[in-house]
Amino acid sequence: MTKSLKLAAFLFVGLMALPSASLLAQQTFTTTIYFDYMTFMSNAGPYTLKPSSETTAYKNNQFLFRRAYFNYENKINDNLKFRFRFDADNTANIASVSLTVDPVSGVSTKKDDKLRPYIKHLFLEYSNFLVPKMVLNIGMIETLTFKPAEDRWGYRSVAKTLVDGYKDITGMDILATSADIGLTMKYSFAKFFRAAAGIYNGTHYSHAENDQFKEIEVQAQITPIAGFSIVGYYDYERKLPVASLPAETAPATSMFKVDAYFEMIKNFVLGGEWFVFKNDLYQSGGEKYDVGGFSVFGRYTIKPDSFALFARYDDYTPNSLDRDLDMTMIIAGFDWVPFHKSWKIQPNIWLRSYGDGTRYNANATSNSDIVLNLTFFLSF
Amino acid sequence: MKKITLIALATLIVLGGLLMGAKTIQVKGSDTLVNLVQILAETYMEKNPGSALAVLGGGSSTGIAGLTNGTCDIANHSREWKAKEIDLAWEKGVKPRFFAVAVDGVSIIVNEKNPLNEMKMSDVGALYRGDIKNWKAVGGPSLGVSLYGRQSNSGTYVFVQEHVMGLKNYSTDMKEMNGNAQIIEGVIQDEGGIGYVGVGYLFDESGNIRKGIKVLKISNGGAAFSPLDKAAVDSGDYPVSRPLYQATNGKPSAAVAAFIQFEMSDEGQKIVEREGFFPISATHRAANEKNLR
Repeated sequence: MTKSLKLAAFLFVGLMALPSASLLAQQTFTTTIYFDYMTFMSNAGPYTLKPSSETTAYKNNQFLFRRAYFNYENKINDNLKFRFRFDADNTANIASVSLTVDPVSGVSTKKDDKLRPYIKHLFLEYSNFLVPKMVLNIGMIETLTFKPAEDRWGYRSVAKTLVDGYKDITGMDILATSADIGLTMKYSFAKFFRAAAGIYNGTHYSHAENDQFKEIEVQAQITPIAGFSIVGYYDYERKLPVASLPAETAPATSMFKVDAYFEMIKNFVLGGEWFVFKNDLYQSGGEKYDVGGFSVFGRYTIKPDSFALFARYDDYTPNSLDRDLDMTMIIAGFDWVPFHKSWKIQPNIWLRSYGDGTRYNANATSNSDIVLNLTFFLSF
Repeated sequence: MKKITLIALATLIVLGGLLMGAKTIQVKGSDTLVNLVQILAETYMEKNPGSALAVLGGGSSTGIAGLTNGTCDIANHSREWKAKEIDLAWEKGVKPRFFAVAVDGVSIIVNEKNPLNEMKMSDVGALYRGDIKNWKAVGGPSLGVSLYGRQSNSGTYVFVQEHVMGLKNYSTDMKEMNGNAQIIEGVIQDEGGIGYVGVGYLFDESGNIRKGIKVLKISNGGAAFSPLDKAAVDSGDYPVSRPLYQATNGKPSAAVAAFIQFEMSDEGQKIVEREGFFPISATHRAANEKNLR
């Protein structure tokens, strides 16, 4: 047994020996799992896995663990909280099914597609920091980028929100992440107005810092009337100069985002998000292009903790200079708790439409994929 | 196509089944209130066939979150809403209206073998902060103090922290129990134990103070008063008393309003007294009437 293993075993035994009633009461362990049976109901388009020969139909289907979270929280006192979260995802990307080079032979492009655990959150939260209603988070923390949208959409188990899932759907990297190393400060000025700011490495939870620049995020939320909120968000980070740009150019990335949420009707949430992402390195024919999109979603809870309906429409513009690349996606489904709220069944359908890059030509065609998911949401 | 038709049909069947079910008023929250409201609800349902109420505990925080998230119709809470809860409710379009249903004297209890009969409120605070660790320092025996309290989602936990402990943190030595009954059991078994519980939990089925515990009189700079003294609780002479509330999202529906009116009625308030709490004052009653309109 190596020294580190011995140390780990010692710490584990020590931890297990600790729990008195008071200690246990402050600590929580939770697990959340998203598990799918997914079937592709159409044969057309690049997102449907099919043989290189298109002479026969090939409808792909699979069981899939998309996410598994293990969460440990320790409420140290009324103001201090610690969170450690393991996340595990399948490296297979569910939107662009490129599991194999050759789906017929089944030769994989990767070593394997095992669920791989990694640390997603590792932070300390200090409530009432300096003044009441001010919260400081420090460590590997949640970023501000799409948390409000994710909370309102409420079906991360079915699909990521627009900005979160943008790269998966379009293949265009907009450098958005749900977690990074740094610190955020949030303050609620009044029920009408709250604001937050954060500073992070900008390399997200999957990479160590690789330059001297830091990402800055700011967010402001106004709720002028009960149940109606508008959230503005902006982030910015300088990047290292690159050879393809003039020497005097200091490249940077930035995102501007506006969300609106309508929650005035009991058990009904209507939300929308719009964003534009600018990256000085994104150029086509010497001209810069932007990346953007918008999403509108709604959910209606017919019976709390039992049954709800949800639907969403996304519009993606991965290149503002080439609208042939635009895509749309519709998601619809329902959320049902058959026995206990720790187990939800969320059948849902995705309809993706996209051009073939020539849609403004006389012979333009458009394609669509239909994907049916039987999603199981497990939380305990 | 056939598949889609089948899915649509199954969806309609499930939806229909859910919608045809009777509308049950969901009540959630304070563990101090849960037993009382359960008895009120059972009596109300007996008198009003066809009405349906489901009452759950979980703590005041759970009830407030439930009302904000739309998972309950009435939130029971034994403390005021926190600023962040009011902000979140506003964001979610929830405009809470509050109804006092009973008055509670939060009772400080010790093991019956403890010779103390009364304490200063400041000393109780010092014990729970962990500043004093031996009973001798407050006139008791030379015996270590064992603290019993609630979990942080409890309204009583917050109330004691705000009104007895000067908003300071609890000692990390405090045993955080799931409910009032568990605190009482802990103190009965522990000679050095001290706990805080809602006054309604002090009595056994015969209406007597439970064996094994002693209810302390509490002073706040003057004479000491008992939480069992109705006049002292009403007048505020007993320093650790509080109204117990229910909250609704905006003006209550006719069904919810009817239940609240029953709770406020003479019959409802007799149940409140029978369960060991104190009836609401005329001021509370007037405020409730206003919020029902």
